[in-house]
Amino acid sequence: MIVTESWYLIVSALLFAIGATGLLVRRNPLVMFMCVELMLNAVNISFVAFSTALQDLAGQTAVFFVLVVAAAEVVVGLSIVVAVMRRRPSATVDDLAELKG
Amino acid sequence: MSGTFVTLVAAEIERPSIDWHAIAPELILLGGGALVTVIDLIWLERVRKLIPTLTSLVFLVALIPVITLWADGSGLPRGLWIIDENVPATGVWEGAFVVDNYSLVLKGLFLLSAYVIVLLSTNYMSEGDYYDSEYYQLIAASVLGMLVMSSSRDLISIFVALELVSIPAYLMAAWRKRDLKSNEAGLKYMLMGVFASAILLYGMSLLYGIAGSTLLSDIAAAIDIGESRPVITLGIVFTIIGFGFKVSAVPFHTWAPDTYEGAPTPLTAFLAVASKAAGFVALINVVIVALPTQANVVEPFIWVLAAITMTVGNLIALRQTNLVRMLAYSGVAQAGYMLAPLAVYDGISDRATSAVVTYLVIYAAMNLGAFAVVIIAARKTRSAELSSYGGMFNYAPGLTLAMTIFLFSLAGIPPVGGWWAKFEVFRVLTEGNRTSGIALAVIAAVNSVIAAFYYLNIAKQMWFLPSPDGDNSRIAIPPALLAAVGLTVAATIVSGVLPGVVSDMTDFVNVAAGQ
Amino acid sequence: MGVQQNVAQIPVDLGSAQPRAVAFAPVSDFLREYIVVGLFGALAFGLVAAFIGLASIFRPDRPTADKVENYESGVDPVGSGWSQSQIRYYIFALLFVMFDVEAVFIFPWAARLEDLGVFGLVEMVIFIFILALGLAYAWRKGVLRWV
Repeated sequence: MIVTESWYLIVSALLFAIGATGLLVRRNPLVMFMCVELMLNAVNISFVAFSTALQDLAGQTAVFFVLVVAAAEVVVGLSIVVAVMRRRPSATVDDLAELKG
Repeated sequence: MSGTFVTLVAAEIERPSIDWHAIAPELILLGGGALVTVIDLIWLERVRKLIPTLTSLVFLVALIPVITLWADGSGLPRGLWIIDENVPATGVWEGAFVVDNYSLVLKGLFLLSAYVIVLLSTNYMSEGDYYDSEYYQLIAASVLGMLVMSSSRDLISIFVALELVSIPAYLMAAWRKRDLKSNEAGLKYMLMGVFASAILLYGMSLLYGIAGSTLLSDIAAAIDIGESRPVITLGIVFTIIGFGFKVSAVPFHTWAPDTYEGAPTPLTAFLAVASKAAGFVALINVVIVALPTQANVVEPFIWVLAAITMTVGNLIALRQTNLVRMLAYSGVAQAGYMLAPLAVYDGISDRATSAVVTYLVIYAAMNLGAFAVVIIAARKTRSAELSSYGGMFNYAPGLTLAMTIFLFSLAGIPPVGGWWAKFEVFRVLTEGNRTSGIALAVIAAVNSVIAAFYYLNIAKQMWFLPSPDGDNSRIAIPPALLAAVGLTVAATIVSGVLPGVVSDMTDFVNVAAGQ
Repeated sequence: MGVQQNVAQIPVDLGSAQPRAVAFAPVSDFLREYIVVGLFGALAFGLVAAFIGLASIFRPDRPTADKVENYESGVDPVGSGWSQSQIRYYIFALLFVMFDVEAVFIFPWAARLEDLGVFGLVEMVIFIFILALGLAYAWRKGVLRWV
C-alpha cells in the first residue's frame, strides 16, 4: 500500500475537525486552548504534505512561521487564562457572563 | 522526490539591493518602538510620563517616509528589492511586499489613527492604576503589523502581519487586570481570535496546495478563469471566514460587543477602527489580488455576509442601552457596508477597492471621534449608559455639537463625511446594473434608515433630555482629548464638505500585485 | 514526478468527493461547489455527533460514588481538583517557550551562514537584539525574581 500525500491531508482534516469540535464542545479555557493547538498542528501537517507533493519550500517556511506565532499565542493566551483563574479559580467559559446583551 | 529540495537549497543566494525608502515606515516604527522600550527599561518610573509623547512622535516620524513616497509617486509600485537588470531578483519573498498608492493611503490612515489613539489613551491610562508604558509599546507593535499588512501580497506575510496586529490586542483587551469584565473581554477575544487564525490558516494551506505558491499573484495565475473545484471553494470559504472574525462580520461577530465593553475604552476605539481596518486590508489583498477569477465563488458568499452583517448589527444596536455596546454593534453594521463593494468586485475591482478604502478612512475619523466623546463624558459621568448622556448640551455644548457631527456622519446624513462614504458604496453597488448589486443597495438603504433611529436617539438624549442626576457642572477636558476631538471633527467635516480631498487620494487606489 | 504534474494531481485527489453524476447537471457549477462545502460541514457535524453519540451508546453508565471520584494514582483524592498551586515556574516556562521557539529561525540561518555573509549576520544580530530586549524587559521589570 502506497501512502500518498492525500493520506496526510485526510489526517490533517480529521485533526482539524477534532480540534474545532473540542473548541466548541469543551468549556475549560485551558482545554479549549489545547484544541486550538491541535487545529494549528493540523494546518502544519497540511502545509508540509502540500509542500512535499509540490516540491516547493514555501509550505515548510510557512510551518516555521505558524510554529512561532502559535508559541506567541500560547504565551499571551496562558497569561490571560492565569489572570482570569487567579480571580476566579475553576472558572469555565460559561461562568464568564458579566458581559452580555 | 526530494531532489528538488537539494537543488533549491544549494542555489547561489544573490541578494539584490534593498529599497530602503520603500520600507522606511516599518523600519522607523520598529526602531522607534525598540528605542521607546530601551528608554523605558533604563529609566523606568522617571520617564513614565514621557512614553506616550515619545510613542506618538514615533508614529508621526514614520509618517514622513509615507508622505515622501507618495510625493515621489513615479516609482510606484515599489517592492522590497530595487529591480536591476544586472542583479536578478531571486529572493523567495519576491513580490511579497509591495508599496503602492493603496498601501500608502492605508499606512497614513493607520499611523494617524494610532496617533489619535495615543491622544485618547494618555489620560485614561495615567489616571487608572494600570501598567502604562507597556501599553504604548504594544500599540506600536500592533501598528507595525498593520503597516506590514497593507503591503503584504503573500499568504505567509499576511498571516504574520495579522497576528502581529492581534496578539498585542489580546493583551491590551485584558489590560485592566483587576476588573473581571476586562479579563473576560481579553479571554473571549483571544479564544475567538486564535480560533479564527486556525480556520484562516487551514484555508490558506488549501489555497497553497492548489496554487503551489503562497504569493497572491501566483495563486491568481494558477487558478484559471471559470475553473471551479471544491477544494478551491473550500479554501476560499475558510479564508474569508477567518477574516470575517477579524472584521466582526455576522455570524462571526460574537466576541466584538463583549470585548468592546470590557476592554479599556481607548483600546476599544483602537479595535473598532484600526484593527478592523487591518482585517479589511487583508481581505481586500486576498480577494482582489489572489482571487480575481473566482468572483462566482467569492461574490455570493460576501454578499450574504454583508447583507446579514448590516441587518443583524443594526437590529441589535437598536436595543442597546450602553453607548459603547451600541457603538460596537453599529461598528458591526458599518462593517457590513464596507463588505458590500466586495460583493460586486468582478470587473470593477479598482472601484470596489477605492470605495472600501474611502469608507475606512472616513469611518476611522468619525468613529474615533465618537469614542473620544465617550471617553471625555465618562470622566464626568463614570458610565457609558445612554441615559447618563442626558442634558449634556447644558454643561458641554461644544462636546454635544461634536458628538452630533459624528452621529450624523455615522448615520450618513449630508454634509458631514459619512454620506460620501455611503455614496461611494452605493455607486459601486449600482454600477453595471447587476441584480445582486442593486438588491444589496436596497438592503443597505433600508439599514441606513434603521441606523438613523438609534444614532439620532443619542443626539436627542444629549440635546433635549435633562441630566439624570441634575449635576450640570462643566467637564474639564484635558488638552490631549481636546486635540483628538478637534482632529476628528475637522477630518469628518472636511471629508463630507469637500469629498474631493479623500477621493483625490482613494481614486488612485489600485492594488498592485507584485511581480 | 514533476512539479507541474503534481499541481494538477493533488486537487484531483482531494476533489474525488465532487459529485460528477449527471443528476447534478441542471445545478450550476457555483451551486455544486457550495453543495460540496455544505457536505464538508455536514461531515464535520456528523463526525462530532458520531464521537459523542457512539461513546454514549457503547459505554456502560453505572456510576457509583467510588467511580466518579477523580483518579489520583490510586490514592483517595482530598479537596477540589482545582486547588490553587504555586505558579513560580509558570512564568519561566512561558519565557522559555517564547525564546526556545525562535531557534527555528536561527538554525536555517546558521546552516547557510557562509552564503548569507555579513548581511545575514547583521540581520540575525538585529533579530537577536530584539529578542534580548524582551529578556532585558523581563529582568528589569522584576519578572525573573524568584517569588
